[in-house]
Amino acid sequence: MSLFLIVALPFLGVVFPALLVRAGRDASASAAGTATLLALIGLLLHAPAVLRGEVITARIDWLPNLGLNANFFLDGLGLLFAGLILGIGLLIILYARYYLSREDPMGQFYAYLLLFQGAMVGIVLSDNILLLLVFWELTSLSSFLLIGYWKHLPEGRQGARMALAVTGSGGLAMIGGMLILGSIAGSYDLTEILRNKEAIQASPLYLPALILILLGCFTKSAQFPFHFWLPHAMAAPTPVSAYLHSATMVKAGLFMMARVWPVLAGTPEWFYIVATTGLATMLIGAVIALFKDDLKALLAFSTVSNLGLITMLLGFGTKMAAIAAVFHIINHAVYKAALFMTAGIVDHEAHTRDIKRLGGLRHLMPLTFTIATIAALSMAGLPTLNGFLSKEMMLAEALDTTWNGSRLVLPAIAGLAAAFTAAYSFRYIAHVFLGPKRHDYPASPHDPGPGLWLAPMFLAVLVVAIGLFSQALVGPLVKAASYAVTGGDLPEFKLKIWHGFNTALFLSFGALLTGLALLRLHGGLERGWNAMPRPEAKTIFDALLRWIAELSRTVTDRLHDGAISRYAMIFVVFTLLLAGYGYFSGTIGLPTRDVQDAPILPIIAWFCLIAATALLTFLHRNRQLALVLIGVVGLTVSMSFNYLSAPDLAMTQISVEVVTIILLLLCLNFLPKGTPVDSSLGIRVRDGVIAGAAGLGTAGLVYALMVRDFAFPTISEYHLANSKTGGGGTNVVNVILVDFRGFDTFGEIIVLGIAALVIFSLTEALLSTRVRAYLLNRKPDWPQSGDAHPLMMVVATRVMMPIALMVATYIFLRGHNLPGGGFIAGLIASIAYVMQYMASGFGWAAERQHFYYHGIIGSGVLIAAITGIGAWFNGVPFLTSDFGYFQIPPLEEFELATAMFFDLGVFLAVVGAVLLALESLSRLAWQPGMVTEHAMDINPARDDPPEAEDPAQTAVKED
Amino acid sequence: MIQADLNVILPEIVLAVFAMLALLGAVYTVKDALASALVWATAGLMALLAVWIASATGGTQVAFGGMFIDDGFARFAKVAILLSAAAVLLMSQDYMHRRGLLRFEYPLLVALAAVGMMMMVSAGDLMALYMGLELQSLSLYVVAALRRDSVKSTEAGLKYFVLGALSSGLLLYGASLTYGYAGTTLFTGIVQTAQHGEVSLGLLFGLIFLISGLAFKVSAVPFHMWTPDVYEGSPTPVTAFFATAPKVAAMALFARLLHDAFGGAVADWQQVLVLLSVLSMFLGGIAAIGQRNIKRLMAFSSIAHMGYALIGLAAGTEMGVKAMLMYLAIYLTMNIGTFAFILMMERDGQPVTEIDALRQYSRREPGKALAVLILMFSLAGVPPMLGFFAKFGVWQAGVDAGLTGLVVASAVASVIGAFYYLRIVFYMYFGDETEEVLETNGSPVLWVALMGSAALMLVGVAYQFGVEGAAAAAAATLVN
Repeated sequence: MSLFLIVALPFLGVVFPALLVRAGRDASASAAGTATLLALIGLLLHAPAVLRGEVITARIDWLPNLGLNANFFLDGLGLLFAGLILGIGLLIILYARYYLSREDPMGQFYAYLLLFQGAMVGIVLSDNILLLLVFWELTSLSSFLLIGYWKHLPEGRQGARMALAVTGSGGLAMIGGMLILGSIAGSYDLTEILRNKEAIQASPLYLPALILILLGCFTKSAQFPFHFWLPHAMAAPTPVSAYLHSATMVKAGLFMMARVWPVLAGTPEWFYIVATTGLATMLIGAVIALFKDDLKALLAFSTVSNLGLITMLLGFGTKMAAIAAVFHIINHAVYKAALFMTAGIVDHEAHTRDIKRLGGLRHLMPLTFTIATIAALSMAGLPTLNGFLSKEMMLAEALDTTWNGSRLVLPAIAGLAAAFTAAYSFRYIAHVFLGPKRHDYPASPHDPGPGLWLAPMFLAVLVVAIGLFSQALVGPLVKAASYAVTGGDLPEFKLKIWHGFNTALFLSFGALLTGLALLRLHGGLERGWNAMPRPEAKTIFDALLRWIAELSRTVTDRLHDGAISRYAMIFVVFTLLLAGYGYFSGTIGLPTRDVQDAPILPIIAWFCLIAATALLTFLHRNRQLALVLIGVVGLTVSMSFNYLSAPDLAMTQISVEVVTIILLLLCLNFLPKGTPVDSSLGIRVRDGVIAGAAGLGTAGLVYALMVRDFAFPTISEYHLANSKTGGGGTNVVNVILVDFRGFDTFGEIIVLGIAALVIFSLTEALLSTRVRAYLLNRKPDWPQSGDAHPLMMVVATRVMMPIALMVATYIFLRGHNLPGGGFIAGLIASIAYVMQYMASGFGWAAERQHFYYHGIIGSGVLIAAITGIGAWFNGVPFLTSDFGYFQIPPLEEFELATAMFFDLGVFLAVVGAVLLALESLSRLAWQPGMVTEHAMDINPARDDPPEAEDPAQTAVKED
Repeated sequence: MIQADLNVILPEIVLAVFAMLALLGAVYTVKDALASALVWATAGLMALLAVWIASATGGTQVAFGGMFIDDGFARFAKVAILLSAAAVLLMSQDYMHRRGLLRFEYPLLVALAAVGMMMMVSAGDLMALYMGLELQSLSLYVVAALRRDSVKSTEAGLKYFVLGALSSGLLLYGASLTYGYAGTTLFTGIVQTAQHGEVSLGLLFGLIFLISGLAFKVSAVPFHMWTPDVYEGSPTPVTAFFATAPKVAAMALFARLLHDAFGGAVADWQQVLVLLSVLSMFLGGIAAIGQRNIKRLMAFSSIAHMGYALIGLAAGTEMGVKAMLMYLAIYLTMNIGTFAFILMMERDGQPVTEIDALRQYSRREPGKALAVLILMFSLAGVPPMLGFFAKFGVWQAGVDAGLTGLVVASAVASVIGAFYYLRIVFYMYFGDETEEVLETNGSPVLWVALMGSAALMLVGVAYQFGVEGAAAAAAATLVN
């Protein structure tokens, strides 16, 4: 039978129990059993060849470019494990059929069980580590479903959660390790990896890979300090415990260690990590098991201890130890499964698993007693039973191995663990079955039907048979499996009962006798044990989880407290750290430019700038003052443009400055005059330091760039050379705006228009809400000036208006060749209008304004667009400008460029946008009745007490 | 000439014109009454466009003098963007409608954002890049603040806007530095200047600023701060949208910029990406542990996932880009399913986002619980779910590119990450008993999205999601 089929059979079988559950429990169980049996037969057909030393393979390229191939291979180790999984699986299916009660959803149970079984078989037969990982996680998943099968038990939930958390994280760690292994070997095929021992052990990534893989194995096989999840997972139904937690799943970790043994074992790191962990687990598990009263808990810790034993043997890294490990895997699986099943029978019949409430069952359940005794004695290591043989080999190996220079540590601890093992095995017999019959069992126990005892009986027979005829029964299997583990020639060995009188034998008998003594002293020891404070792994685990969640929450809350200032701080500090790292770890080369001399004028300007910003930092709470200081900064910048021969920029900057300050003042009118203090001095100092450091860093950066040459000549030459010939103007800035980058300007005026419209619609929306009433009734922070529209100012602005407009026209017209242009002209014209609003009042100005500003913006954009489109009729791309020279007597010859129309568009858009913004903001404080017919009216409210009449009415009365 | 150019960007034009016509149409007619119809129309149009783009066989076409590139890579990303945007739109219809949020602008803003994203992934020039990015971002700012009467939603919109504007500033600064030192804004021109070993300091500055700006958009640590707040504050359908299409667009744009413009200087940007990636994976993983709100959790999850996807980009190889594209495609699918479930979660008609509310959920809705379980395992990267193969792909690319350290760190981070995904599963299957019943009676669309994406996570393994070939071809056109 193809290996594919063997792996696929359990998965195919998953559907049948679920489908057949209506046909009855027997149909469901036999469907599951048939699938397993077929797979087992398929496996056994390959057995003779594998035992001869052949390796059966089956390969299909699945996703070759990912390295994921459906490759399976069957060697001795695979045969051993697959046989255990399928064989014990078959027995469990039989047992579970009678164990589960009528109410339990049996189809679901068998479906999960087969899913798990298939995943396990997949693990042990995979020849591709990716495939193996897939199956590995599938076991975690399906075991999660199986453990949680009895949903009504809270312990079941707890156990499932812990099991999944521990094995799941371990599995993910193992993925990392496996990927490293694969990348070192250059292939994800196991057989390929196993050939690369030298390369892997020499790699610097050997240790990380080893640790990650071992994390996976240790968590799966419940090795110390991850041993705690296993006993808690025992809340699952007993068949599940027997199958997952003794025979198969927990052995997946051991399988993995055995699988990678050829490439990873043999180094000191391997020895000290694996052997020490195994040793500790063996002792700790055995000691705890002795003091457990729950039958399943006792068996669970005994399993932990036995797994530790096997881990330790694998950790020794010698071939004989590997043989012993393989042999013990078989023996442990056999007797432990039998013991779990007897525990299940006791639970099933007596309705309790508490040892303290049991005893004397041998009279009531003689059959169960016999099976349990044989299995337990084997576990204790009594001669002629199979457990004795492998334990003997283990002790012999321990005696031969030195640990950190000492020859005594290993045998002493191993012997002690063996003594405790014997003790709890005897206790299992003595305190459950022996002793006087009791009358207070929760139910009346008696031997169950054959459905329940057949499977453990079969295993008990095996225990004896293997013990007596080990070489004949399992010798070839052990040999084939050990060959696969060690990946090379094996020393000669023979499994037999009698090795002669040697130290191991004495140690073994010593352990048995000590075990008896321990059992005798059990009552006293138990009191001592209970009185002793000891860390409860589950509490630690829970506390750890809580602590991690708490830590994470603290970190997150501090980093993400919702304040943007905090985010900005993190961002700035991080940037500073990175920059610091970059500065100190890298090189920046020498400056290639000289530092220029500083004349006195820039120094004064610099001083003004610094003084204004410093003052602003300290006085920013007084908003009006802050605005003035910002004005100082703006003016200094404008002047520096002027100083650096950029009159265009200076003009633009100045007019923008004026307009924005006026608009800001207007906004400030509606806002509190001061900013409240919202953080303590310490925080402000800290923020100040951070900001200062960032500022200095940026300054340093700019300096470093300025004293070095640019990679390319500046682009200004191009513009200077082409401005007159290509754009027909000598004012390069204006030509850039309307010609070279006309497209940008076109976009910008649209954006400007949109911005003004947004301001309009926002204030419009605001005015339709209750906010308007608040605004109208607000009490000004400062007493209002009685003379809202001073005579002098009104007269002055009216005189200035035509002059200002004239200037705007002049600037507009000369723009193409001399400093000026539509943008600046637009700003100047806007200022001319703004002055009227300011001096004569909103109502007065609005009455005399006959064009909607919306329309002005729109016409500006349209004119610019039409100018651009006009170029198409000339057969040139959008916005290509043209110019010519004309002479209309009596004028001098003058130049006309299409760019001028474009500039007109810019002019209109700017005027419209600025005034629309102004108008929108003013409307907040204005209401329809408040028309000031005469600009120079006096507000009588000045002299009235604060609760004066509505200013609107006063205004009307005045009229 | 212009005709040919317009032909290349026809899909974008169609979507943009549709959005604007629909906007005008709705404004002058019945407004919000049209919203449902518009959702379906927009989603339908997007799906059609996706089919159209996917079936286009032409090789690489360049329009507007190299500013716009239509190649296999762009088409792959566009199909992903359009399909996920359409899916999210359909998923949100019912939710938005019942909470009175379904305004007709919503589908149109999503459509405009999609136009921006399509521009982004096709950008062949820093200008075009910025145009697309801003069109996308501006639409998203508005969508984030869609629920105007909710303080959280407006706060989310404002924060997104402020930080987004900051990132745009960084990006623009980088673009202008790049222009200054490379002498051109065209990627094809920059790549000739930016050869390894010859990258001038100024150009390097530009590159770093560009990367920072884009890192904001993909919410990579330390530019991620906006993500949790915006995810939590926005209406859930909007969060679902944020978690899907824009991420693909930003990552694709990232890849396009780094490979097309700076492909000659891999070593210069690789270390930056490695740092971004490691920080994202760890912060995303660690911070998510403490979350109690599933939307915030998904925010940190998306940060971590972007970290994983960045590994593929950091590899700097064709294989890396392919792995990244695969990762994104799978991530999209998982997220759509997960958000479909989050959209269903409600109690007494009110949306619920507390993870606690999932206690004992499997008892009441075993089918949906199983689907969520599969999705969570897939998000955690547990084999055999598709999520594992996504991670595996980027890891492999990372190892091949010599970034083993990064890959190991990423494996550790994935263990941390598994913790919080599995916690959701624990709550559903083994949580304490609870009186408060969680209702998940979502619309059929949501059901299909949840079950479909969960099924894909399982079935997809068999044929690698069916997009591997497309991703490989896409990566080949980008990296050469």
